[in-house]
Amino acid sequence: MVWYIFTEKHEDTVMVKADYTVNAPAFIKEFQQNMTAANKKYSEKIIIVNGTVSEIETFDTTANIKMTDTISNAYIIFAFQQQHMGDAKQMQVGDAVSIKGSCSNGSFSNILETEYITFKRCAVNK
Amino acid sequence: MKRTMLSMAFLLATGLLFAQKKTTTSATINFDATTSIDKLPKAENKTVIASLDTKTGKMAFEAQVKSFAFSNPRIQNHFNNAGWMDSEKFPTSTFTGAISNLKTVSFSKDGVYDVQVKGELTIHGVTKPVETKGTVTVKGSSIKAAADFSVKLADYGIDGPAVGAGKVSKEPSISVVAEF
Repeated sequence: MVWYIFTEKHEDTVMVKADYTVNAPAFIKEFQQNMTAANKKYSEKIIIVNGTVSEIETFDTTANIKMTDTISNAYIIFAFQQQHMGDAKQMQVGDAVSIKGSCSNGSFSNILETEYITFKRCAVNK
Repeated sequence: MKRTMLSMAFLLATGLLFAQKKTTTSATINFDATTSIDKLPKAENKTVIASLDTKTGKMAFEAQVKSFAFSNPRIQNHFNNAGWMDSEKFPTSTFTGAISNLKTVSFSKDGVYDVQVKGELTIHGVTKPVETKGTVTVKGSSIKAAADFSVKLADYGIDGPAVGAGKVSKEPSISVVAEF
């Protein structure tokens, strides 16, 4: 039992059944309208988000994809799982994509003065 | 009229190009609280918001606690629970401060500059003054800020049973990298 706990790992997100499927603009709006309720509903849930790539931020060990509301600058950011970073790096700004990941949290950034929603362990929804 | 509009567009474009406040939404924080009896409590947050004002040296970071990704799901749950980071109550960790030896850094000349950073770190709802060494790497238009330091969990009111049992380091190491 102890061995099982120590060797337990998060599954590849591709293999995990999604709790919700949403469109990016409506998803952002839901957080903007009631951050507390949206966090309660979506935090730590596996969600498929359909939307348009607005920005790609790639560094040595990072491949993050963003979907941004052009009016408010509120955004969703998806940090890709190690094994799926190649897919993220092939995306281009303007691409219509479907991304599956674990929704971490939504919050208001005092630095950027806008709402944002973070995802971890993401993969392309195929 | 056309000339005025062109002038305004030029001013706007140059202003954006040479903006002093740089921001990123993909800074990373690596957190390592492993001990000799538990190698699992380490995680990475790749969606940290950071800013750097190249004129004043002011820096700021915002990290969502739930964005720290652990390889082990149980440890991730423990990390977010009340005995540790209590992310429901304290969802965000922040740093606000500045490079105190900014005069030694030239943002227009490629190089690796040693910097001293002073500021206030807020974790678990507790704010403490911190001071650490770091580097600023300038390469063309790219600026990379990095720092490694450690925090005493007790200073931030984190003293859950896992800490007491030696499964979580009392003084985890933290590595921060922001590329602007």
